[in-house]
Amino acid sequence: MMSELEIRNLTKHYGETRVLHPVSLSVERGEFVTILGPSGCGKSTLLRILMGISEASGGEIHLAGKRLDLAPPEARDIAMVFQSYALFPHMSVAKNLGFGLKMKNVPKDERAKRIAHVVDICNLHGLLDRMPRQLSGGQQQRVALARAVVMQPSLLLFDEPLSNLDAKLRDSLRHDLVALHRRIGTTSLYVTHDQAEAMAMSDRIVVMNAGRIVEIGTPLELYRSPRHVFTAQFLGQTNLLTVEASGTGGRLPWGQVITLDRPATGTAQVSLRPENIAIIADENGVATVSSVAFLGATLFYTMEIGTLSLKVSQAGGVDPLSVGTRVSFDLAGPVHLLDHLPMAEAA
Amino acid sequence: MTLLAIDSREAPRRRLFKAEDRPLVSAGLYLALALCIALPLTLMFLWSVADGWQPPSIFPQSFTTSRWIHILGDENLVAALLTSLFIAFTVTILTALIAMPTAWAMGRFPFRLKRLVEIFILAPVIIPGLVVAVGVGKVFLLLGLAYSVAGVIIVQIVGTLPLMIRLMSATFETIPDELIHAARSLGAGTASIVLHVILPLSVPGLLAGGLMSFIGSFEEFDKSFIVGAPVIQTLPIKLYMYLDPYSMQLPLAAIVSFILLLPALIVFIIAGRIMRDDLMAAGMGKI
Repeated sequence: MMSELEIRNLTKHYGETRVLHPVSLSVERGEFVTILGPSGCGKSTLLRILMGISEASGGEIHLAGKRLDLAPPEARDIAMVFQSYALFPHMSVAKNLGFGLKMKNVPKDERAKRIAHVVDICNLHGLLDRMPRQLSGGQQQRVALARAVVMQPSLLLFDEPLSNLDAKLRDSLRHDLVALHRRIGTTSLYVTHDQAEAMAMSDRIVVMNAGRIVEIGTPLELYRSPRHVFTAQFLGQTNLLTVEASGTGGRLPWGQVITLDRPATGTAQVSLRPENIAIIADENGVATVSSVAFLGATLFYTMEIGTLSLKVSQAGGVDPLSVGTRVSFDLAGPVHLLDHLPMAEAA
Repeated sequence: MTLLAIDSREAPRRRLFKAEDRPLVSAGLYLALALCIALPLTLMFLWSVADGWQPPSIFPQSFTTSRWIHILGDENLVAALLTSLFIAFTVTILTALIAMPTAWAMGRFPFRLKRLVEIFILAPVIIPGLVVAVGVGKVFLLLGLAYSVAGVIIVQIVGTLPLMIRLMSATFETIPDELIHAARSLGAGTASIVLHVILPLSVPGLLAGGLMSFIGSFEEFDKSFIVGAPVIQTLPIKLYMYLDPYSMQLPLAAIVSFILLLPALIVFIIAGRIMRDDLMAAGMGKI
């Protein structure tokens, strides 16, 4: 059984420079998958190849059982939502929505029906006669989304569609997007560098770095038990520490003994999330608070233990400890052990 | 840090005029408009109807319409006008068609020696029309294009092409790649993209370039004269014949100028109307 979208050993190089090392990925029908990575990680290149703007140097892509990478861009069953919205500025909202259907020779009454439906689900009532420049950023993005959805494609691509909006609007559109996906169920590939966005929306996240897929997993898996250092650092905040492990026991640099979530021997690396460290003021404690930041819902500390510093977060309801306070701390549950893999072997 | 410093110094300069300066600014602009356009037009009109106008009198002593009647009564004038209109339309359309591929390449692709190509494109503007015409005239004689409408059209396109290419490449430059990618992913082939996206978005540039070409062709004299005259009589050629080289005939010159100015004025008024249209402005608005 083949997945809805199958990417096999896709590569891309410009001369000697490799921008995509062999990348393989399969996305199930109806899944919402996010490709997450810093700029220059190859996620945009992957998107451009999927769209047909750019040609792969090697590998294959299959969509709904058909070979995708050999078809010209206009014949691919894909619709894209662009970061810059890319609405046609000389066409009204209605014409923008109808453009693709017209190009694909959808009959007029069918066109009207589909536009009416998409206006309904994207909440564009009363905007059909407006020109794009008469719309706010959020409205423009909703039109861009509707223009893609109205095509009823096998695959929806999103290229950082929310990054041009302000934080509040981004939040509300993120919810709208998730709700929309739940309703239409189109297989979606969402590209972003914003880990919060990826965590909030995706069924699965594909973490990319330097042209390779680092790790694939659900937001929960990737956050709680990442295999790779890069994932641990890129998704949320973390403390990376070296331990001397034997079995499920481990010894932190300052001598504290901890329980690991799986057995290991020798030197290993652990990821300790700031929220899994509980601190209390203690005159005999090993650590000293070196900075405090009150962020409303959370309190954020930096602690010094000898030459090491640890990030710790606490629910914001309590009174903050002042800088210089000596503290001792507890770790909630076993500590997550990272795979000891150099970057290049991760893919 | 340096960048910030420059920014803060430039910020107040952008707000040179405030709302309360508006009457003053518009008064100044209208005054400039009157001095540059209305005053010369009035003087020209007075000269064309003056029957003797000697210093120190401020207005002509007496008026006559006989010269207007004489020139407008010339039936060859209408024929010349039609020839000119036909040539100007053809030149405009051909200029646009020929300019577009070059402009597309200049506006959207980086390539080696782009600067050199640019200079090559602008060369006809730098070299006087007379020089071009004399050289081209010789070649046209050999090719049998001399004294033909086709010959005049071709030699005029040499003059109108550079500006059209410049304007169109500037227009094409402003069309974002994403729009074209979006159209393509929505199922539009190359022809549909040109027709539904690129052309509508190029209308402001096409209009500006088209107007310039039309007027440039309509009023072109030296190249058309050398290649076409006396067989092909365009309006400027016909009208320049009225000007007696041995005595300065201000009244006749005024009439000639008036007639040649008319199409330019009409075309610009039409263009102004269209430009104000919402749809057209959208092409120039932000995306």
